[in-house]
Amino acid sequence: MVVLGVHLWLANFGQPTASLRAILGVILLGLALFHGLNGVRTVILDFNVGTQGRKFVTMILLLVGVASLLFGMHGLWPLIVGG
Amino acid sequence: MTRRISQILGRGGELNPRNMRLGIWAWLIQRISGLALVVFVVAHVVAISQANFALSGPLFTMLDGLRNPFWSVDRTVLAIDLIMLGIIAFHGMNGIRIVLFDMGVGVGLRSHKVIFWILVAIGVVVGGLVIFYGLPLIGGT
Repeated sequence: MVVLGVHLWLANFGQPTASLRAILGVILLGLALFHGLNGVRTVILDFNVGTQGRKFVTMILLLVGVASLLFGMHGLWPLIVGG
Repeated sequence: MTRRISQILGRGGELNPRNMRLGIWAWLIQRISGLALVVFVVAHVVAISQANFALSGPLFTMLDGLRNPFWSVDRTVLAIDLIMLGIIAFHGMNGIRIVLFDMGVGVGLRSHKVIFWILVAIGVVVGGLVIFYGLPLIGGT
């Protein structure tokens, strides 16, 4: 919530460097992905998928999360190093 | 599933709207809004990245279309973003209510409902401020 608030404030009012904005964006992305995909995992596991199903769901969501984070970091990397 | 859907949604079931009170509505909307936000976050990251990657195609044309609803005349109104702001405000404030409850603050039923509506009010005020200050900047006028 705090990082999201800073992100929204910077988008509208702040005048930070592009690098700071991008770093905060990556942090927010990581936190949001973890929170969101953990929530999706909770919803799926509430349907009693069994032991093997739990492992499968966890691994799939972990892969999706890591891939999404790397995609986002790749997009913001020029701003992080060049801002 | 160990219980049939008809037991959950039927007479006496906890997800039958006739039996649902404020707390279970908050739980249900928290879950649905959370799933919607996961989709939104992924779409948001892809949309923000498309300029950097010079992406094109029907998906990105659709994402641009979501930013130009048919009723806008002069200004570009981010309709989906505004709806998502409301969803984020509810999901966040309800999450804070849950954290407070887990910490033992406002455990009694009456104070629990008071806290819920106070946090909804805070979410509405903060969301309104974000829209009030952010919308002219989005419109680009």
